[in-house]
Order: sequence, then structure tokens, then C-alpha cells
Amino acid sequence: MIRSKDLDKVAPDDPIAPASKPSPSALPVITPLKQKVYDIAGHATSPLSPFLVNPKKITFAEKNDGEEILIALRSHWFTNVSWILITILMSFAPSFLRYVPLLNSFPPSYQFIAVLFWYLVAFAFAFEKFLAWYFDISLITNRRVVDIDFNNLLDKKFSEADLRNIQDVSSQISGVSQTIFNYGTVLIQTASEVNVIIFEKVPNPNKIIKVLQELRSPGIKNQ
Amino acid sequence: MIADINNYLHLAEKIFVVLGTIIYLIFSGIIVKQTSTMSKNVDDKFNAVLIIFSYVHFLFSLLLVLLALVIL
Repeated sequence: MIRSKDLDKVAPDDPIAPASKPSPSALPVITPLKQKVYDIAGHATSPLSPFLVNPKKITFAEKNDGEEILIALRSHWFTNVSWILITILMSFAPSFLRYVPLLNSFPPSYQFIAVLFWYLVAFAFAFEKFLAWYFDISLITNRRVVDIDFNNLLDKKFSEADLRNIQDVSSQISGVSQTIFNYGTVLIQTASEVNVIIFEKVPNPNKIIKVLQELRSPGIKNQ
Repeated sequence: MIADINNYLHLAEKIFVVLGTIIYLIFSGIIVKQTSTMSKNVDDKFNAVLIIFSYVHFLFSLLLVLLALVIL
């Protein structure tokens, strides 16, 4: 029970409010489940990290009330290197026209439009690739695993499976880059309508498997 | 006669380029729609920045159409 410092000024029946204590809703709540995930997966430092643990900002349209996102996964950053290099090459391409005068037969106004168009295409290419990386997201919540894929411009694929329906989890790391940078594919076999949920090219597959094992353990299910 | 043919060729070139920029403008409109749809589905810290980028790209595409109409 909280006691007032100056008891002489307080009548016995007066309610004493704890003035300095912040309300519980103002404090970030770290449940034992979240702490366990932190213990296994650690903390991400950047908001653009492909492996976000207990992300506060991310939410998705199909999220249920009371559902908490424990891990948000995107493809490993190394998968972006190829399109970043292509974009850099595309950005410098117009300057090579001095040496290879492809557009010289056209009037200057056409050349100007062509160069401007080229830069817009380069931007659109990079932007599309970034959108595909940013919004193709895999989530582990306290109730289910979710995979959201945007295959092309306006094609969305949403697959989910309840944690209780997960039957088997396996991972596959293949190739030089995946071995060096520790990323790969996590396959989650389920008893749901969607037989397999695939987290593609995600970082730290072993940590993801450990988290899923922990979430499937009977002690956690009852929390 | 040859001057007429040149004029027609120049007009055909201009129509071709303007049509190309209009198609690109439609494509950039689709990108705006796509970005806002994706942002509604997955909400994260940088969604607002991405939507702004998509609109800036759309404006530049519109500018390209206008430039093609004016300077060609």
C-alpha cells in the first residue's frame, strides 16, 4: 500500500493517489513471451533490419485483437545487392552516351526527353525492387505464423497457420552467399489449409526455428 | 515531296514518344496505387515516405508528358 509522506494533512478516509508513479499503460509491456523471444533472437538495431524482434511499429491488415507480433522478417539485405548495383549502373549509363553516341542522330530535344525518361525508369526499377523487399514480410505472432507476398504490381498472397497447427519446421541454407551471410529458407509444415509456409531468404534461420520451437512448447501455449 | 515525308516522319516520331510517355504515366499511377495498397496491408515506419516517393515519381512522369508535348 502506498503511504502519504505528510500523514497529518490527510484524513483517514482520503484516497491517496500515487502522483509520481506512471500509469501502467504508459510503460512498454514486456511479457515473459516477448522476453523469451528477446533472449533467443536478440535485439535489432535498425528499423530497416530484416530481422525485427518485437517490432512496435509494424502491423498488418489481418491482425486480430490482442495479437502481438514477435518477429518480423524480410529477405536478407544481401539479396538487394544485385538490384542496387544495376540501379547504379543505370544511373551512370547516360554519361557513357558521350563515348557511344547512340542518340546523336536525334534532335537535342529528343535526347533530353530520352535521358529524363531513362532516369525515371531507373528510379521506378529501384523503387519497385525496394517495395518488393519492404512489403514481402513474414511474421511470427503469439498466435500464428503469417507470410505476406506481393508477387507483382497488384497481386497479393496471404498465408497463415496457427502455431498449434505447425507440424514440422526445417531450414535450408544453400550457396556461397547464404553460407557466408547466414540466411536461408525456413519451411514450416502445417496441418492448416496451406500445407507449407515458406519464409524465403530470411536471416538467422536457426534462431527462427528456435523461436518456433519455444512457441510450440506446452508451457508457452498456456500463457 | 521529300520535305513532306520528313514532316510526316517527324510527326510520327512525336506521336510515338508522347504515347510512350503517356503509357509511362499510367504505369507510375499504378505504382502510386500499388504503394498505397501495400501500405494499407502492412503498416510500418517508412510507409509515408514511400507514398511520397511514389507521388513524386508520378509528378515527374506527368512533367515528362508535358515536356514531350511542348518541346518536341
